[in-house]
Amino acid sequence: MSSRKPATELLRAQVQSGKARRRAPFLFLAPAIIVVFAVLIFPIIFSLFVSTYNWPLSQGAGVRRFVGFGNYTALAQDPEFWNSLKLQLGFIFIAIPIELLFGFAAALLLNREFFGAKIVRSLLLLPVFFLPILSGMTWRFMLQPRYGPLNALLLKLGAPEITWLGNPATAYAAIIVQDIWRMWPFMFMLLYAALTAIPQELMEAAEIDGAGFWLKLRSLTIPLLMPTILTAILLRIIDALRVFSEVYVMTEGGPGSATMLFSLYTQRQAFGYQKVGMASAMAIFLLVLSIVFALTLVRKNMSLDVLEEKAGA
Amino acid sequence: MKKALIVLAFVLAFASMVSAQTINVLFWDDAYPRTLMERIPEFEKATGIKVNIEILQPPQVFTKTSVSVSKDHTDYDLVCVDEGNIPLFASLMLPYDQWGPGKVFKKIDPNTVTPAMLDVAQWDGKLIGLPINGNLYVWMTRKDLIENPKYKADFKAKYGYDLGVPQTFQQMLDEGTYFYDNGIVSGGFGPFNGGPAGVFGEAIFMWESYGTHFIEWVKGKPTLVVDKAKAVQGMEFYKKLMKISPKGAETMAHVERQAAFCADPKGVFTQFIWPAQIASYEDPDKSLVAGKIVYSAPPAGPAGRFAIRGTWAVNIPLASKNKDAAAEFVYWWASKDIATWLVEKNTVPARTDALTDPRFAKTKPWLAAIAESMKYAAARPRFNEVAQVQDIVKKYWIMGITGQMPCDDAMQKIIDETKDVLKKAGY
Repeated sequence: MSSRKPATELLRAQVQSGKARRRAPFLFLAPAIIVVFAVLIFPIIFSLFVSTYNWPLSQGAGVRRFVGFGNYTALAQDPEFWNSLKLQLGFIFIAIPIELLFGFAAALLLNREFFGAKIVRSLLLLPVFFLPILSGMTWRFMLQPRYGPLNALLLKLGAPEITWLGNPATAYAAIIVQDIWRMWPFMFMLLYAALTAIPQELMEAAEIDGAGFWLKLRSLTIPLLMPTILTAILLRIIDALRVFSEVYVMTEGGPGSATMLFSLYTQRQAFGYQKVGMASAMAIFLLVLSIVFALTLVRKNMSLDVLEEKAGA
Repeated sequence: MKKALIVLAFVLAFASMVSAQTINVLFWDDAYPRTLMERIPEFEKATGIKVNIEILQPPQVFTKTSVSVSKDHTDYDLVCVDEGNIPLFASLMLPYDQWGPGKVFKKIDPNTVTPAMLDVAQWDGKLIGLPINGNLYVWMTRKDLIENPKYKADFKAKYGYDLGVPQTFQQMLDEGTYFYDNGIVSGGFGPFNGGPAGVFGEAIFMWESYGTHFIEWVKGKPTLVVDKAKAVQGMEFYKKLMKISPKGAETMAHVERQAAFCADPKGVFTQFIWPAQIASYEDPDKSLVAGKIVYSAPPAGPAGRFAIRGTWAVNIPLASKNKDAAAEFVYWWASKDIATWLVEKNTVPARTDALTDPRFAKTKPWLAAIAESMKYAAARPRFNEVAQVQDIVKKYWIMGITGQMPCDDAMQKIIDETKDVLKKAGY
């Protein structure tokens, strides 16, 4: 009987099946990798590519001209670019801490049971579900000097009429207040969820040891909430870097360029000035900025985890 | 037999669906195209062409056109282009002399368009579309105020001349100040401080009225020709007008101006209007001053009278696959029948014969004012980088007229930054 295969053939078959086995995971992952590349990576690479061209939007790809880092150099020399960056960072560093403070205070206050607690907690979340563009419109009308309810109230109290969106300082303050109003419940939502997850035994043990409210807050609540706080800040920063529609309908970047945030200026470059290359360079800059924020906060979060592990050990 | 009839009905329905040609049209959103939309089913019935309309606010029309129309591809068979953007899109559009003859509706003779408007669609010596509305500055003044005997007497006693429709800037300022200072109106003047294109219009209006152009085409290049001293005078005068304007004037766009003029019980004494918006101001359901407005040409500045033009042209992209159907639609839209009907509906087409139809002389008092304004039509400068320059002008113009910066400094900034834009653009 010669049904037995020669040794070389067997070896080849084994090698082939081993290769196939090694290849299999890649083949199974391939569709996911392709989708991730197409949806996440390709647009970024394309944006990077576009940012190296002088590309007038309405004239199509036919007239584009390679300029290398020319758009980045032009941005660095553009005072309006730096102004928009300054305003954007100001927006983030003023609005988000206040939102965090409000959200944290509300979470502490509502972390107890009382009649109607669930309804109150649910109602507090309403502004988050407001469409940004509607929020901008609503605030624009509320701040209208002559017909707006805010000025009507102030006038009744004897204050002078204020043109909130007509003055650079008050217009900038107004877009920040609008953001705080809409987004502080987001902070509340995350912090309240984290707060309810803190084991009550810890708090009770601290109380037995004689810790008062402030000591518990400083030594227990805040450290335990820190990972959630950092995550919430990171999410809000990424969101705030992209803020657009609400500011666009409230002020369109004005008066002058007092509220011309980074995103508004990017839109202006692309669709107003037709400079797609410049807008893409701004988008890449924004991406880098987001990554810097994300890395900083994620590292901070990870270092907290390490500390926790060490403490646990 | 019954089955055969059902099959036949299905076949016919399918055939009609397949054969119906569809054109995609991009409209700007105001009363004029919205009014037209009422009659579009008639066009569809007469021609078998289905009209698929997208209607957007003017800045979005610009964005959509930029993104959706190129030399080789277009999402639209017909786009409306604001006159300031004609240079940017001219190379992507089919010149009017190459538009087809029209099967159901006759090709429109461009000479039916009011001469002051025809220029709108001209670029590089070619007519690249058809101007479709008659939009330019017309002045509105409150009739109930200037005809009030008490105000007439008081005003004459104080200023030494008769109260009336402002014919000069000084008269406008005097009358506006009189009504404002006496608490009769919420605003003696209604400024426009909304979007960059509108503010640019106001600035050009003042500069022209004070005797200076801003940018002109010299030897094939847009060139800054502004006379700074005259431009500053124009800005300073507008600053005076701002002092008698309603609260919130710093950010007043069309919505706020209309609210101040029509919905405020005291209202505004005088301001310019785009004729496209007259329908809303004269609608008694929306306006407290409907029927109480006098229309005229703008008052004259030291250098004369000027009426800023803001007309839209309809254009067929070179890449359209339905050029003939799109042209057919324009021929219907610009026909005398439709234009006359549009006038009846208080909107303003570009056809001379519809605007001057004697039937409307009494019922549409603004038509005479439009005709008068057309004698003084002035265009905003047109070049590819106009959006950048508009932003610069808007920024410093508003800083100047609101006192955030001396007008002289604001004008210098406008000059310096505009020069920079033109230089970087390679002019």
